Amino acid sequence: MNKMVKGAIATGVGVILLVGGGGTLATWNQAQQANMGSVVSGDLNLAATNGKWTNAAGTVIPDITAYHVVPGDVLTYTQDVTVTLTGDLMQAKLAVTGAGQDGTGATAFGGAATLSPTTLTKGTQILPDTILTPADSGVVKASTTFTFNTSTTGRTATNATYNLGGIGYALVQQAPASANNS
Amino acid sequence: MRSTPMLKAAGLVLAAVLLGLMAVPGSYALWNSAASASAGTIQAADFRVTLTDTQTSNTTDMTLPNGTAAAIALTTTPAGALVPGQATYAGVQVGNVTNAGGAFTIRAAVGSTPVKTDTGSGLAGYLTVKAVAAGSLAQCASASLYTLALPTDLPSMAIAKGSTGVFCFQVSLNAAMPANLAGSTAGISIPLTVAQQ
Repeated sequence: MNKMVKGAIATGVGVILLVGGGGTLATWNQAQQANMGSVVSGDLNLAATNGKWTNAAGTVIPDITAYHVVPGDVLTYTQDVTVTLTGDLMQAKLAVTGAGQDGTGATAFGGAATLSPTTLTKGTQILPDTILTPADSGVVKASTTFTFNTSTTGRTATNATYNLGGIGYALVQQAPASANNS
Repeated sequence: MRSTPMLKAAGLVLAAVLLGLMAVPGSYALWNSAASASAGTIQAADFRVTLTDTQTSNTTDMTLPNGTAAAIALTTTPAGALVPGQATYAGVQVGNVTNAGGAFTIRAAVGSTPVKTDTGSGLAGYLTVKAVAAGSLAQCASASLYTLALPTDLPSMAIAKGSTGVFCFQVSLNAAMPANLAGSTAGISIPLTVAQQ
């Protein structure tokens, strides 16, 4: 039995040695880098500077809340809106959001005032359906005009208010044609 | 009966699809950015015009808080009874006290020839009223101010924001007034109108 045990142990050691030297069984092999580089995302951003109110005389109004309009007043709000679009397939639309809110009851202008739709211009007018590309990045001029109609009679719309705080801008990416909607 | 498990399975799949669709409505959103215009609130000016009795400095807004037109009683000078052949004077100062942000000039005018009432005594027929625009209250008591004015004149003047103007009135009692009218009284109403210029 001792001989059999010794034989078995010797066989086991031999097998273990074979297993431990597994690397010695390697054959030819080769590795290559994929060189895929890095994927870099683009950018989409919208930033509005402080706007500026001017009256029909061209006078800058430093604080619109301290200015009171009268019939015949035409106030214009101009603002630079910086659009940033980066990306080879980047496309976006820039639009005006929200609307002015006339006062109610005794504080309403009613038909005595007109608020023109805000226009966006960068060389040419940017319409809601205009597709912007990275080449259109830069400053877009926004302009809104409030007119207190000269046809106002009596004491109509004295002390009225018109809130334009709800007006804003939205820059929304448009899906590239190859988008997978994921 | 054997189709019941299939129907259940189909129902579960449908429910799962619906839940999936409802749970990810925004999954198709792309990049977007928003900015506020911060344009603030536009406020209309008031349209305040004050009337001040030149003698007593009693002041009232031309339009009362309830929207009706105000009336102001003017004090004449010299005070007391008017003697036939002589005149008395009064004046009202019109103030443009608007809070308009820009230029806001108004034009104040005597709206029509004075209305004279005497409750039937006939005294009004012997009164002549002239109105003129003046530069200051001190001019109202000067007879020479009315020399070229006619009773039918309806003077007007422009008043810039924050400024005032004065209308002077001369009331003359005809020297030919009958003696029996002595002691009687008459009222004179002079409408003023103001409009944005």
